[in-house]
This record gives sequence, structure tokens and C-alpha cells, in this order.
Amino acid sequence: MKSRSRFPMIYLFVITVIMYLPILFVMIYSVNLSKISSVWTGFSLKWYRELFRDRNVGTALWNSLILGGVSSLAAAVIGTLGAIGTVRTGFRGKGAMEYIATLPMMTPEIILGMIFLAFFSLLGLPFGMTTLIIAHTAFCIPYIFMQVKARLAGMDKSCEEAARDLGAGRARVFFDITLPLIMPGIVSGMLLSFAMSFDDVIISIFVTGVSVNTLPILIYTQLKTGVTPKVNALCTLMFLATLLIVVLSALIGRLGNRKSPK
Amino acid sequence: MKKTLALVLVMAMCLALLSGCGGGKKSGGTLNIYTWAEMFDQDVLDGFEKETGITINYTNFDYDETMLEKLEASNGGEYDLVIADDYIIETVIAEGLAQKLDRSKLSNWGNINPIYQGQFYDPTDEYTVPYGAGVQTIAYDPAVVSVPVRGYADLWDASFRDSIAITANYRVMIGMALKVLGYSYNTNDLAQIEEAGELFYKLADNIRLIKDDNVQDDLISGEVSAAVMYTSQVTMAKLTKPELEVVYPTEGIGFGIMGMFIPSQAPNADAALQFINYILQPEISAKSFEYLGYYCTTKAADDLIAEEYREFLVLPEEFRADDMEMIGNISPEAAAKQEEIWIEFRNRCGQ
Amino acid sequence: MQRERRGENAAFLAPMYIFTVIFLIGPFVYMLVLSFLTRAETWGVVNSFTLRNYERILEPLYFNTFVESVKLAVLVTALVALFGYPFGYFMAKLPPKRRGLMLMLVMIPFYTSSLMRLYGWIIVLRANGLLDKLLMALHITSEPLKILYTYPAVAVGMVYALLPFMMLSVYSSVEKMDWALVEAARDMGASPAGAFLTVTLPLTMPGLMTGVILTFVPSMGLFFVADILGGNKIVLVGSLIQEQLMKVHDQPFAAALSVIMMLMMTVMIWLYRRVTGSGEMEGML
Repeated sequence: MKSRSRFPMIYLFVITVIMYLPILFVMIYSVNLSKISSVWTGFSLKWYRELFRDRNVGTALWNSLILGGVSSLAAAVIGTLGAIGTVRTGFRGKGAMEYIATLPMMTPEIILGMIFLAFFSLLGLPFGMTTLIIAHTAFCIPYIFMQVKARLAGMDKSCEEAARDLGAGRARVFFDITLPLIMPGIVSGMLLSFAMSFDDVIISIFVTGVSVNTLPILIYTQLKTGVTPKVNALCTLMFLATLLIVVLSALIGRLGNRKSPK
Repeated sequence: MKKTLALVLVMAMCLALLSGCGGGKKSGGTLNIYTWAEMFDQDVLDGFEKETGITINYTNFDYDETMLEKLEASNGGEYDLVIADDYIIETVIAEGLAQKLDRSKLSNWGNINPIYQGQFYDPTDEYTVPYGAGVQTIAYDPAVVSVPVRGYADLWDASFRDSIAITANYRVMIGMALKVLGYSYNTNDLAQIEEAGELFYKLADNIRLIKDDNVQDDLISGEVSAAVMYTSQVTMAKLTKPELEVVYPTEGIGFGIMGMFIPSQAPNADAALQFINYILQPEISAKSFEYLGYYCTTKAADDLIAEEYREFLVLPEEFRADDMEMIGNISPEAAAKQEEIWIEFRNRCGQ
Repeated sequence: MQRERRGENAAFLAPMYIFTVIFLIGPFVYMLVLSFLTRAETWGVVNSFTLRNYERILEPLYFNTFVESVKLAVLVTALVALFGYPFGYFMAKLPPKRRGLMLMLVMIPFYTSSLMRLYGWIIVLRANGLLDKLLMALHITSEPLKILYTYPAVAVGMVYALLPFMMLSVYSSVEKMDWALVEAARDMGASPAGAFLTVTLPLTMPGLMTGVILTFVPSMGLFFVADILGGNKIVLVGSLIQEQLMKVHDQPFAAALSVIMMLMMTVMIWLYRRVTGSGEMEGML
């Protein structure tokens, strides 16, 4: 039985390597001296210097962080409440509501972008951060909604009931029992929402306004227009930041696990 | 793991929000520039900010049409200065989305090269100041191209199979076929357009790549052996790989000018005027055009351009205005016809 | 008591109701209305009813684009399933410690800009790029392959961009599976392949189907992949909508294209429910 083939491990390894290869090449070419990205002329940190001088990048990063933060927070509040309400009620429109709530997940981004653009101009909303936040919140809600609903479905009702029997008020039960239990769902939903928002090109291009560039829009226009290896440098830094956060949180998580008796 | 990650992110976001509220604006106000990416050297922008105390907010679009869409949606507001192509400026002005320039605030007006003024999109120069001009050329790598290339017609040669790059502007590309047939870029005659379309489809087999930007990269790397390119791309390509050949097509030269204009409801038109005047200084212009790679539209700057760039940035003297044709707006029916030809063409390229 | 409860639930539901009705149903309804209106001469729309937009979709030019786009989406989805299913499956069978590491390795690219990852492919695939150099050094080929800006390049880019969705949804489905059932099948004499086909595959079907939907849906609209890796030569329905909207300014036609695309998606989701017999998307991260 133990002499199972090594195929699974090899398969996982090969696919993982292929997944990382393009990222690796972007990183390598970020230290290429030449402005033309197809010729290697020597090692240089020039493009990193250029990157730090370019204030548009800073502004775009800023906008993306705010956009991701605000819309995943807004989606967390709306989606969590919605999920609790849906699970608790037994009314007839529930199925339809669930379908509609998860609709953005099933809709190609291009269509979401198109309908938001058309609808916002119909309403006469000025395009900019507000429209971006509304659009991003709309496509983030399903992620939170699904996660929280899954948590709620697996939750033991008796805790809430016991607390209530012991005389806790409804608000108290919600904040002391329900919320902590569904918190992991909310957090992972928010995380996913943030990642989706932070990486979104298609919808953002349609609903952004005059003076708001997000990081993906900036990278997209740079890829299409004046690509300098600055883009490589930017991508490298973004990747390293992601890596750092993921590894750090894994380490902290492990440390925490060791301390806890479980 | 996920939890901690989220916590870190949430904290970072809260911090970001808090500090975001505190950051006020500089005294000189903000100048919203809306144009393609990489139009200015960062030093030039920094210099302006230092000189005036005005903060520049630089945002980008990919196509002229995107700009028009946004400008219409905001009713000529929000942006202070836009740089775009000639033909779209004609539409912008016709729709009343641009404002007249206050020349009393443009002391460097006289530095503009008059060749680039008085054009179809703004005959009396009331709304625009040119910022760069270019022609469409064919560039090729003589090492891999065996046939002589003198004009557009040569691109149809079977030896170019799957090895030509063209730009993504369908007016320029279908215009190529129109020129080969001896018609005007701006014809409204549907029969002529249709005829050009049929000819154009025959080019599909030779097309490897359609894109507006960085075509020079693909020419240098050997991805394509010939490309229809704009002036700035030729400049970049020749500076990296001098052995490339550049051809001004015998069928006629397509000519384009980019212009700066101030939208009708610009929040800070004054800052935009200051910026235009700043750019028109000979030294600043020279620096900008060395960076941009298009023909320099500031006459006073021509002599200041570094030697290595000069041959690319100053319009060759043998070019006369009557040899060149600019692409203007055509009737809706003609435009619709061209759009359809363009989609069909790309479908054929992809197969 | 009962009434109070209902009031509370309504309060919970209210924000989502209000938000989705205004900012989701509103836009969708407007899209439907828009698709029957007429394009104005210069900009905007005229409020006169027409079926012209839908007739146009039936013209060979646009109809072909639809067909080609669906073909590509099917191809991409099949490839993603082919490569992603084993990955998710093997990943779920790893010992817990390694599983955590693997999950992290899959999540990191997922959190990295998809544009950056696509750009990396340009570097790999371009003529005389890394792949060419490798193949030529190994004497497998003698001249540049010219893969970039072709149909395969677009397919590779899409598969690559969408693979993590499949991996993760299959993973969570396999992880939840009751292995006792597989063992039971084996005890009753089923071969490994037989047990897989009769037990494991049906049990993980929801995860697979979720992956399929999460792949198929975006793959018709990812116009930037076709732009960047396809050299603009592959016209997707997504590219068509984007161009109609941003370049041609024909909102009604873009809306009609979207309505048709939306209908196709609805059919897919309906099929999903029929196949899996559940009302929910399973294994959605």
C-alpha cells in the first residue's frame, strides 16, 4: 500500500513550478538595464528608482487599497446581515433572493462592467471613487454571503438557545455568540473580496472616472501603451509584498497554534 | 493563517483611511491631466510642480474614444488638460466640450511651429496647442526581408506571411488599402470602402500582430519582420537597432497631430494654461520631445534637441503638406462600414 | 415574539435587499430595456423600440464571433478541468501539514495581479524568448516557434489565469468527501479506476461543476487576454462588447450582446443545478 506511485507529488510539483515561472521571469526582467524588454543588456536597479519617482504609482496603489478596503468592508456588513436574515427566514422569496445575491459571481465581468457603466450614466452619477466602490461592493457581496451562509449552516443552534435561556438579550446573543462563530467566514470572505477587488481590471475600466487610476488599470494601460520595465519592477514589489504577508501570517498562525492547548 | 492575514490587511486599511483624511491639498491646487501613459518625462512634471506649487494628477486612457466617452459623461468637467489625437479633437470641439484658450496667458505662443497650426480640427487655433506630430511609416528588418519595400502595396507580398505588425487604429489600417487603391483616407463613398475592404482582407494572412503600442519591441525581438508604425515607435526602434529600414510609403503619407486642449468645464483652467505655457518653453519642449519621440511641434526647441535624436524629431524637409493627408471624421455610414470591415478582418487574422 | 422576530429578520435583510434591488436588478433591467432601443446619431440612445440590435447579432459577422468565442471557452474549460481536477484531488490527499503549504502556494499567485502573470507569459512565449531559446538549445527546434499572438497563446493564457479556481473548488469538494465510501467500494471488489468512476467522481461532481462554471463564465469575457497574448486577432464576445461600448459608442448593441451572453450563462447554471441536484454552488472557496 505504501509503495504508491510518486506521480501525485510529481504532478503537483510540475504544475506549481509552471504556475510560478511567469512570475519569476517578470522579476528577472525587472532588473534588466534595457528599456526594450526583449533584450537583456545587464543588471540594473534603474527601474526601481524610476518607479519610486513616479507618483502616479503611489496614487494608484493608494486608490486600490482604499477601494478594496471600503468595498470589502461594505460588502462584509451587507453580506453578513443578508446571510443571517436569509438563513433565519423561511419565506418564499428566499430562493430568488439567493439567486440574485450570487448573480454577480455568475455574470461575466464584462457584462457587469457594461451594465454599471450604462446604469450609472443613466442615473447621472459622477464616475470616480463612488461608482468604483458601488460596483466593487456589488461583486464582493456574494463572496461574503456564501461564506457566512456556509458557516451558519454548520453552526450549532444550541449555543444561541442556551444563551437566550440564560437571559441574554438578542443583541447580546448576536455579538457574543453568533458573530464570533461566523467571524472566520466573514474574514475569509473579506480576504477574497479584497483580492478580487484589488485585481479587478475589467469592471474598473468601465466605471472609473477621470481622476481615479487604480493599480490594475495603471498596469493595464502601461502594458498596452508605454511599457517600460517599471511595470516589471512594480509587479515584483507587489508580488514580494503578497509573499511577505502570506508567509508572515502563516508563521504567526503556527506560533499561535503551538501556544494554544489544542 | 487566513485570519491573521485578514487582520493585517484590515489594520493596514484602517491606517490608510485615517491618514487619507488628514492629507490636505497643496496651496497651488491640482492640475488634472488626462492623456495616454508615458507622455511626459517625470522631470518635466516635477519641474512644473516645483515652479508653481500646483500638484499634477496624471490619469490615462488607452484610446481616444475612451477619452471622448469620459469627457461626455462628465460634461467637459473634471479634467483640466487633455492631450489627444487630431480627429477626436474635432469631435470634442464640435460637441462644445473644449474651451477657447486665453492667449494673453500664453506668452510662449510664438514658439509653436506654424506647420502644425491651422489644421482641419481647429482652423483658427482657438482651442488647441499641438503637442507632437507623427507620420505612419513602414519599418522593416532588412536581414529577414528579401523583397524591396517602397510602399504599402508591398506588404501584400506573399513572402510576408504571418510576419507583419499593424496598429490597432482601423482608420489608419483600412486607410492603407484605400491609399493603395488611390482613394482618400476620408472617403464617404461606400463602394470605395467596400473595395478597400476586399483588398484589406487579403492582407489577413500576413498579419501577425495588431497593436498600438510597443510594436517596436516585436520588431526588435524578431517577432515580426515589418511593421506599420508611428513616428515615436520608429524613433525608439532606430535608437535600439539602427540597422532597421524606415520607408515613407509612396502611396502617400498619413499625418497626425496630437493636441492639448482645455475641457469646457475644467475646474482649474488657469493651471492648465500655466502648464501649456511651461511646456512651450524651448528647453522644456526639447526635453519632452526627446522623451516622447514624436516630431517636435515647438519650433523654438528644434535647435536644442540633442544630436542623436534630431533626425527623428524634426520633420524631414522634403515633406510638404500637400503630400500628406490627415485622417478626419467621416459619415456615420462610412464609419460603420469600416468598423464591420475591421471586425471581419480580425476574425480572418485569427483563423 | 413571532412578530418581533420577523421584524428583526427584515432588518437583517434590508440592506442587502435595498442594495441589490438598486444596484444590481436596476442595472440588469436597464440592460434589457437598452437592448431594444436605438443608437443616437452621435452619442447616447434614442427612446424608440427596435429589434435591430438582435437582428444584427444574427448577421454572420457577429454570429461567427459568438460561435468562435464559445468554442474557445469550451476548449479552455476542458483544459482547465483536465489539469485542475487532478491537482485539486492530489492536493486534498496530501498529509495535512503539506496540504497547508500547498494551499498557500496556490493562493499566492491568486493574490498576485493577473496582469503581471500574463505579462510573464509574453516573456516566455515571444520569438527568441525563453521557450524558444530553451528548445533551440536542446535542438528540438531550429528556429523561433512564433507562439505568441496566436490562438494557442490565448488559450494558454486563459487556462493559466483560470486554473486556480478549478483547483480550489475541486480541492474543497474532495477534502469534504467521505473516504469510507471509496474503501467500501474497494472492499466490494471495485478496481481503483472503477471506484474512482463510480464513487469519487460523482461525489466530487459539485466541486468540478463549480470549477467549470467559474472557468466558462469569465473565459468569454476576458478581452484583455486576447488583447495582450492574442495580438488583438482573436475577437471574443467580450472584446466585441467592450469595443461597442468604448470605441463605437453603441450602447444598445452592447446591451443586446450582453443579454444573449447572460441567457447562455443562465442556461449553464440551470444545467448545473440539474446535474448536481443542488441549489448551491459547492466548494466555493
